[in-house]
Parts: sequence; C-alpha cells; structure tokens
Amino acid sequence: MIMINYKELGFKSGLEIHQQIEGRKLFCKCPAIVNDENEPNIKFKRKLRAIAGETGKIDRAAEFEMSKDKEVIYEACSSSSCLVEYDEEPPHELNKDSLDIALQICLLLNCKVVDSIQFMRKTVVDGSNVSGFQRTALIGTNGFINTSKGKVNIETVCLEEEAAKKVKEENNSITYRLDRLGVGLIEIATAPEIKDSEHAREVASIIGMILRSTGKVKRGIGSIRQDVNVSIKGHNRIEIKGFQDLKNIPRTIDNEIHRQLKTKNEEGHVRKANPDFTTEYQRPMPGASRMYPETDIKIIKITKKMLDSLELPELISEKTNKFIEKYKFSEELSRELIKMDIDFESYIHKFSKVNPEFIANVLVEVRKEIQSRFDKEVTIPMIENALGYYNEGKVGKDAVYEILVDFATKGDADLKKYEQVDEKEIEKEIKEIIHKNKNLSFGALMGEIMKKYRGKVDGKKASELLNKHLKQ
Amino acid sequence: MVKKFKGLEKIEVELKDEVYKGIVMPNSDSETLFLKLESGYNVGINIKDIKKVKILDKKIDIKSSTVKVKHNKNLPTVSILHTGGTIASKVDYNTGGVVARFEPEELVSMFPELEKIANIKSIFVSNVFSENLRFKDYVNISKAIEKEIKSGVKGIIIGHGTDTMHYSAAALSFMFDNLPVPVVLVGSQRSSDRGSSDAALNLINATYFIANTEFTGVAICMHKDINDDTCLIMPALKTRKLHSSRRDAFKIINDEAIAEVNYSKNKIKMIKELKNEKGAWKSKNKFEEKVGILRTYPNLNSKQIESFKGYKGLVIEGTGLGHISIDNSPENKKIFNALKKLSKSCVIVMTSQCIFGRVNMNVYSTGRELQKIGVISGEDMTTETAYIKLAWLLGNYKKDQVKQMISTNLKGEINKRIGLEFI
Repeated sequence: MIMINYKELGFKSGLEIHQQIEGRKLFCKCPAIVNDENEPNIKFKRKLRAIAGETGKIDRAAEFEMSKDKEVIYEACSSSSCLVEYDEEPPHELNKDSLDIALQICLLLNCKVVDSIQFMRKTVVDGSNVSGFQRTALIGTNGFINTSKGKVNIETVCLEEEAAKKVKEENNSITYRLDRLGVGLIEIATAPEIKDSEHAREVASIIGMILRSTGKVKRGIGSIRQDVNVSIKGHNRIEIKGFQDLKNIPRTIDNEIHRQLKTKNEEGHVRKANPDFTTEYQRPMPGASRMYPETDIKIIKITKKMLDSLELPELISEKTNKFIEKYKFSEELSRELIKMDIDFESYIHKFSKVNPEFIANVLVEVRKEIQSRFDKEVTIPMIENALGYYNEGKVGKDAVYEILVDFATKGDADLKKYEQVDEKEIEKEIKEIIHKNKNLSFGALMGEIMKKYRGKVDGKKASELLNKHLKQ
Repeated sequence: MVKKFKGLEKIEVELKDEVYKGIVMPNSDSETLFLKLESGYNVGINIKDIKKVKILDKKIDIKSSTVKVKHNKNLPTVSILHTGGTIASKVDYNTGGVVARFEPEELVSMFPELEKIANIKSIFVSNVFSENLRFKDYVNISKAIEKEIKSGVKGIIIGHGTDTMHYSAAALSFMFDNLPVPVVLVGSQRSSDRGSSDAALNLINATYFIANTEFTGVAICMHKDINDDTCLIMPALKTRKLHSSRRDAFKIINDEAIAEVNYSKNKIKMIKELKNEKGAWKSKNKFEEKVGILRTYPNLNSKQIESFKGYKGLVIEGTGLGHISIDNSPENKKIFNALKKLSKSCVIVMTSQCIFGRVNMNVYSTGRELQKIGVISGEDMTTETAYIKLAWLLGNYKKDQVKQMISTNLKGEINKRIGLEFI
C-alpha cells in the first residue's frame, strides 16, 4: 500500500464511541441484560408512523426507513423487559447509578458538566426503539484526552438508551428483540482532530481504557462500539460503523481514504466496516437530529456538591504504570493483572513471605497454563489456598503448581504429598542416587531426584544440593 | 440580563470557559437558562455563571405547512369534536413544545389515511385534561353533537382524554334519546407527537367504523390489545379504564364488544346485533350536582357517611356482592344508623368494587339489611356508570321515578344475562 500523507490529503476524522453500562436499565428496574438466554415469551406487533416536523419535512433517514413501510414485530423476555420497554408505561426516574457513571466519565474526560440535564426524545423510526424515539441527554461538553500525538478534544458526552437488536428482516416485516432496549449507553464524541489512521485507533483505545476504569461498564463483544467519521479534502463526511476490533481501525480508514480518492465526491453516508478492512454502503447519513424534550422525565440539576461527592476511579493506565514502576513487572503482566480486577496489594500483604512477582505469575501465567493444559478452571480461591500453604511454609514453591493442578482436576489436594522434606534426608538420598547412577548426566540425575520429591522440594534447592554432592 | 428573553431568540452565551450557541427555550426560569443547541439537545445553564450574551437573531420563524383538503362527494362526512387529550398534538421541533392541533388540514396531514375514508370536519370544543371535566362540560359537548347532527354528518368522533372517558361516554349515552348517528369517543394513551402513538390507529379505525356501518349510539374506540392492528368498538356504558398506561387500558365490563375494526385489513367484524333506536331524537341534559361515590373499606368511619348529608344521591362501591360494614360493633352500628338516616333524603345505590360481576343483596344478611333501609342494587353497572346515571336521573326525574329507574336497564347499562366474558 502506498504511504498516505494525511495532512496533504486534508484528512479529517473524529470518533463517536458508544459504551453500554452495567447494572440496571436507564429508565426501569430491569437488569441490563444485553442478550437474554431465555426464549422470548412475549411477542407483539407495532406500526411506526413518521412524524413530520414543523417544516413539513420528514427526516431523510426516517424517510428511508418509512419507504420500507414495514410492520415491526417485537420479541421480548419477561426476565429482561417490562411495560416500559413495550412502550406501555412511562419511563421511571433516571437510574442514579448510571447518572453517576456518566458524571464520572465526564470528569475523567476533563469535561464541563452541564448545570441542568434535560432528557430529549430523538426521533427514530426504524423500529429499534418501541417508543419511536431514543431518550438521550447531553451531560458534558468541552473535554479532552492526551494522546501521543497531542491533545484531542472531547466535544460531547451523552447518556442515552440502547436500542433494540434487529434479529430478522423480511419483505414486509422486521423483527427486534427487546433484551438490550433501554440499557444505559454513554456516547462520547471527539472533535475531528484525529491526525491519522493509527491515531484513530489510539484515541479509541484511550477512551475505552478510561471507560473500563470505572469498573461499571459492560465488557465483551458489542458492549463498546466505535463509529469513525472520515473525510478528505473535497469529499463529504463518511461514517464507518461496526468495527469488530480496534486493531481493524487503521487499515479500514486507510482503505476508505483510497476509496474516496478513487471516487468522485459522493453524498455523505454511513458505511459498514467489514472484517477484511473494506467497507460497504449501509444507509444515508441521518439528517440533523430531530429532538424534543422528554417531558416524562424531570430536569436534573447538577450541583457542585453532587460532583464533589463523586469518587473518581484510578485509571487503568495509571494502575499499569504503578505495577511497572513499583514491582518492575512487565507491561503485559501488569495489564493482565488489572484485567483480573483483583486487589493485588492485598495479596502482597496476605502472602508477605512470597515474592510479589511469583504471586503475579501464579495469578496470571500459571493459572492460564493449567487452564489450557487440563481444560479445567483455576479459581481465585484455589490460588489463594495454594499461595497460603506456601506462605505458611507447609509446602515448597514448586508445589504451588502441583497443588493447583490437583485442585483444578481433582477438586482437592493431598498436602502430605507435598510436605517439605528435611534437607538432611534429601542429601542422603541424593548421595545414594549419585552412587547408584554413576554414568548419568546432571540433567538425568535431577530427573531421578525430582521423580521422587516432586513438590516436596524446591527444584532450585535440589539442583544446589546435587551440585554440591557431585563436586565432593 | 437574561430575564428579558421571552423565548425563541437565537443567542450566544459566554461562560468562564465555554461558549454556547442556541435558541432560548420558553421554559427557562429565573435561575436556569435553557438553550436548544444546534445539535438538538437542550441544556440548562446557571444564569449567574453567564458572563456575556450576544443576540444573534431576535426571534426565529416557525414555519408550518399543511396539506390542502379537498371535499370528496363520494365519501361520508365525519365530524371530529376536540375536547382535550392527546389525540391530535404535534411537536414543534424549534421549541420542543407539543402543540395541540385542531384544524382539519392538520389532522389530515398527521393522519393521511383519514382522507381516504371520509371528509373530515374538525371542531374545537375545549382543551382540558379529562380529570378536570365537570357536568357543564358534558352539556357543552352534547350541544356540539346536536349541532353536528343537524348539519347532517354521518357520524361524530369525540377526541377525549382517557382518564374519565368512560364517565363522559356514559353521560352522553343517557343524555340522548334515539341518537340518529354514531358518536364514538376516541382517546390515546401515548401522545400523537410520537411515532408509536396509539392515536392514529384509534382515530382511523373509529372513522372507518363510522363510515362503513349503520351503527348509531355512543361507543368508545380503543386498542383491543397491545398490537397496533385491531380496535374494539366498546359499549359506552359497560366499559372502564383498567390500566393507568397500557394502550389497551379500556376493558368491557359484564358485556361484549360491539365490533372489532382493522382498517389496514379492511375488516369490520360486528359482534353485537345492532338495535338502532327509532323515532325523533331528543336530549335531556340536566345533572344533579349533589351526587357522590363512597368506596367502602375495612375500618370505615361513620363520619364518611355523615359527610354526604344534604346529597340527593350516593353510590356506595361496596365489597363483594354489595356490602358495607353494618354489624353490631360500635362504629359499624353508627355506620348503619348514618346510612338509615341518609337514605330518607338520598337515593343510595350499591355497586361492587370487584368491578366484574353483579351485585346481589339477597345472599347475605348484610345485603338484606341494607335493602330494608332503602339501599338499591346497582345490578351489574360499573360504579362510574351508576354514578353518572344517578346524577342524570336526579337531574331530570322525580325521586320516586329515580328509585325505580336506577335498577332498570335504560340504554344498555344493565346486562341481565352476563356470560363468561372476563379480563
């Protein structure tokens, strides 16, 4: 691929990031389940009407959907939805936890929080919102993040409702499932200040890290979505949606630049990101959002007291740096530890006689290895028990691995097997082994010793002793 | 500095670190300025933090464009009387306000299907929440109906708030004798400013029913269930709002539907045999003001009964088959004596808080005792229908006639043969 000179091409790009919030839904008490495992036990049909605004014109994206003139079928599980989702009951009061998360995120992104929050109804006529609109509110403005290529401004942070998921589309009907409808969603829009395609990935990754730092957002596929706006000089803005992986962003953007270079200026539209880094036409660009106040929800005044009482979490990036600096862990080990969402410091206090790096290794590497080798889960309590025995001197360092294998595969471990053997006894045995196997190499001798004492003696210790006696 | 804004000015406000550009919303108060930003979002800004204001445009224009309605001589004419509620409201995206619309052009532009079914006449009667309606409003509505009947329309739709729609429907049923046209009350549980409103289906199906059947009399047209396809034409005197928010909130009590209507499938299924009244139509529109409802409950205080002193009529919504606490325990005895005293000057009618089923005051001694002191069975009437009937009877007939007429079926309010219909 030819090198792209972004500056020369007049490259302009900004991101819009949507992140689902954990807990309960935004305007009812239903759990924020995105994919309900139950079979839908509720089904109903609706017909949405496009509502013309005062200009008499119907929104362009709305018209596109309307032209399909479809019946909308909704499927729902009573375990993850209630009358609010069926548009049969007005919204309840705003979920306070979700508001707190949104405010925290605003502060982490250095935003100014608005003085009064007013929820709006954003007209949506594709059926993905049973009510015909999405409830959304502007929470913060004028923030920024620092990146390797300078500051990138955050234009807005909004709190809104997740839409229903389309499950089927036929000639005259379209089917949605309501599990995720109403789940809280944070929408973050950056200024179009992204320098190049790799920078877009970095910005998305930093924002994702900040969101995850709250510990209260959803994880996994589909829980965070990045929409990338791209244009070059003389071309209208194109929005790319549906990235499966952050890693795909740079190549997809570069391909889009090449596509724009090869085509005449088109009308701005939305394209879908494909896994092979290409994009395809999805739909026209929505017109200016048609919004009017959601009068069923009270206006929320944000006081200084409310903001001051918010506890800001430590950023994942700060935590990672702390591990690297304090314990000299590798960046990867630090990241893995943070991902596990455990209080690592407490392990260091609890197992004070154990080397912190060993604890970290058991938690991350040993756990992973046993899990993949035996296809059995190694739980945190198993690790705590095994490390506890080692810390109390009941077993040796090497026994930690063996005990974890026993826990994972048999559910229990016989400590007697791993009890530390008296050094004198081992020395006696080593002498005997050397005597019996005069022709064997050092490695083979070690093998003989460990066969007998696996878990009962530290391998390093055994090798020291073997060396000592070989020299004698 | 900010107080002088009336709303709709386009301005730029400067704060310590931010600048906001937008349109001033009319709901701004003395502490907060609400601005509609270019993105469409409204934000509240503390007025005391505003450093500078620049007016960009004194007042933005609100454009309104509607379709032209042509008279189609092949179609019947249906009048829509607006009394309030959310049947015809539209969003003004500039201000975000929801505005009620009453012009026929506006209705046709909002519900284009109407034009294919009938010529629409649109008449403004009032714009009130239905909980605020009083008897004088029923009289106003009846006068508007009379005027439309005289003008020769095929039928009349009454756009009505849902909260007390069944009371109004009952009132209109009693007020007219030999009503020569259909009068269908239509409401909506989701306001018509949104894409998911139930208003359109209710209004279109009601118009379609009026235009294509020979039904005369008063009925209610609302969703059959939570699907947007079929509406029920429900008997005005046997229907009640049973849910605070669902679109199928109205249910028929102790009776069956008149018809099922599905405009998109061009289907009208008649369920009840039509018994159209013959003879010249007339109306009696007086109501007695001093009529009340008392819902009984455990540990009721006798003062509640005494508070109806001077009333001409009282509906007691009793328990079960039609009971109220009147045994020999001290407070209950007081209740009995208060009732006995009240019944000398007041017509007392018993209904059931069970909502479904008939009152039967012969089964238990309580019922028999109540009958002895003059409490009359309301049969299977809903409390709301019994209340309106009592007030209307007392307004137009003598007390002795009222006592006899209250438990006699006049307009379909009493069903002598209840079938298995239930929720």
